[in-house]
Amino acid sequence: MPEKYDEKTILEVRKVNYHYKANRDKKILDNISYCFEEENVYAILGPSGSGKTTFLSLLAGLDVPVTGKILYKGEDIQKEGLNHHRKENVSLVFQSYNLIDYLTPKENVMLGGKENPEKLLAAVGISEGDWNRKILQLSGGQQQRVAIARALASPAKVLLADEPTGNLDEEIAEEIIEILRKSAHDLGKCVIVVTHSKAVADAADMVIKINSGKIEEIKNF
Amino acid sequence: MNVVQRGLRSIIRKPVKSILLLLVVVVISSFFMAGLAGQSASIKTQDATRQAVGATFRLEGNEANRHKRLDEAAKKISEGEDGTYNGVIFKHFADGSSMVKTDNSFETIKPEDAEKIAQVDGIEEYNLITVSTVVNPVNFKRIEDSDVDQSNDLGGVNIRGNRIMEMDMDVSAGKIEIVDGRMIQENETNVCVISEELAQFNQITLGAELQFNNVKDKENSRIYSAKVVGIYKTTQKIKPVMSGDSYRSENTIFTDLHFPEKASGEEGNPLFQYAIFRVDDVRAYDRIKAEIEKADIDWERYDLIDSDGNIKSMAENFNDMEKMSKMLLVLVSAASFLILVLIFLFWMKNRTQEIGILMALGESKKRIWLQFLTEALLIGSIGFVLSLGVSPLLSNATASYLARQTQEQAAADAGSVSTDYVAPELTIQDTEISITGNMVAIDAGVIAGLLAFSVTIAGITIMRKKPKEILSEMS
Repeated sequence: MPEKYDEKTILEVRKVNYHYKANRDKKILDNISYCFEEENVYAILGPSGSGKTTFLSLLAGLDVPVTGKILYKGEDIQKEGLNHHRKENVSLVFQSYNLIDYLTPKENVMLGGKENPEKLLAAVGISEGDWNRKILQLSGGQQQRVAIARALASPAKVLLADEPTGNLDEEIAEEIIEILRKSAHDLGKCVIVVTHSKAVADAADMVIKINSGKIEEIKNF
Repeated sequence: MNVVQRGLRSIIRKPVKSILLLLVVVVISSFFMAGLAGQSASIKTQDATRQAVGATFRLEGNEANRHKRLDEAAKKISEGEDGTYNGVIFKHFADGSSMVKTDNSFETIKPEDAEKIAQVDGIEEYNLITVSTVVNPVNFKRIEDSDVDQSNDLGGVNIRGNRIMEMDMDVSAGKIEIVDGRMIQENETNVCVISEELAQFNQITLGAELQFNNVKDKENSRIYSAKVVGIYKTTQKIKPVMSGDSYRSENTIFTDLHFPEKASGEEGNPLFQYAIFRVDDVRAYDRIKAEIEKADIDWERYDLIDSDGNIKSMAENFNDMEKMSKMLLVLVSAASFLILVLIFLFWMKNRTQEIGILMALGESKKRIWLQFLTEALLIGSIGFVLSLGVSPLLSNATASYLARQTQEQAAADAGSVSTDYVAPELTIQDTEISITGNMVAIDAGVIAGLLAFSVTIAGITIMRKKPKEILSEMS
């Protein structure tokens, strides 16, 4: 049975602590709790080494907290298994795109889920002529759009992005931000973005600042 | 997109790694098949060789029965009197001493008994071989070694008669090769085959008439002539039956069956030492033996020997070849496993990012492993099919190599023992290779097993990692 949770909350972080095994004294995340809701874009800000990428990894089920829980719709994500969580509940966008180089853009999108890949590629601005090209022949901006299309192909309600505009120029970054905003507001997803970008932070519905493993400030726009 | 679809795309769109693995599988599969075929070849050739030289029975006199017959004869002849009974001759002298002598009829293999055995179903051919008989060379000289003590030697040459010369034990053992002329055929009379040394020593050529008479009565006995129809060389010296130059290898002369009895003054009274029977199908060997033993002859008088000893030596040689084939299989398997593990380690290392991405997308480790295995097996299947074309050539080459190694080893072993008698050289003339369905199935199973095991071992290091660790390595 799911634990009690707010209907609007899709992902909850409850009293999460994290440290590396080799250095137990240094807390990467220190007793963090927070609830994420659908139809919102969250920007997680913080200086390097503040623990924001670790935080995203825990939300994605790529790692597990030392103590505390990550709950999806009130249920511990470890109960169904982290593979299940990554496959069904969340989708990921990385700073370095992380596309499989021997698959075409269309095939990479198909890895994400069963949504029509052509429709998604068109939606993120990839022209038809590029759908079956080699991944490495695409520009960085195009590759990131393909990565977002792959994330959108997933039926997951949560889209997690780690520095999605970090390697892109300003103009392309703005387009990516707009896609992420539409994902939240038009498709009803919960979009959580780890970023250093002021532009992303400005576009977010909620900004969470993390410092020294703790949530320092939350801004609601 | 399922694992097979992904695997296929990886194979086609990353051709360098695919071709590398393909070539390795072709080599491994071909060598493994060669090892299997080598084992089979040793067994097959062994059978073929048995058929050629060893699938025989030899009939010879039973020593215990000989003594028994002597005792019976002694009882039949009154004590203190001279007499003859069944080929045993008793003679008493005035000084009280006595002599017991046997004639050829007492010692010989009876031709009629040999003929009865030859009638058994499954006997292809038979040979009678006379005892090596020392006779006097009348119109030529024997080869002598001045350093050898000839005091007990009769001063002759030894002649050996065969019904069919090619079935003589030394001939079938490969000790003798005809270098000029031919062997003696069945029913020929007054013909002989001499050694090349004797021919050179006496300047004898084909067609020459050699004369012989009784060595114990050189002056008065009748002289018989035999025409030289062949000259042989020895690949190994013929084992002398006694010391002295009468029996030395170079002085051994092969004749037609009845010439020895004539030249030794015993015409009509032959002394056949052995009868050799060749079977027509080695697979029926045991059945034929049982049939022979039912033949209506005095079995107490004879021993039936399964072979002339070549099989044992040959089998030992082939067993060595089988061992070498097995060793090849073990070495190929071990080396293949190591090579494949290294290839897959290299493979996985280069595909760490892909593994991390797939894990991040929620793909289970099992399915990722399954994709690598699918790729390995698909490439392995193609490599295996290609190896079927290469294997027969490689198998033949390997089997020939193993055969040569076996011969060299056998020669080295033989040379390490000091003996007067040189064992017959057992030359493996050729190897018979065929690749059977069973071998193909075993090869396919082993290749699939090696690939699966190698993928698993190579995957352990990466698959044990958490997705975050892999993604951190990537960034």
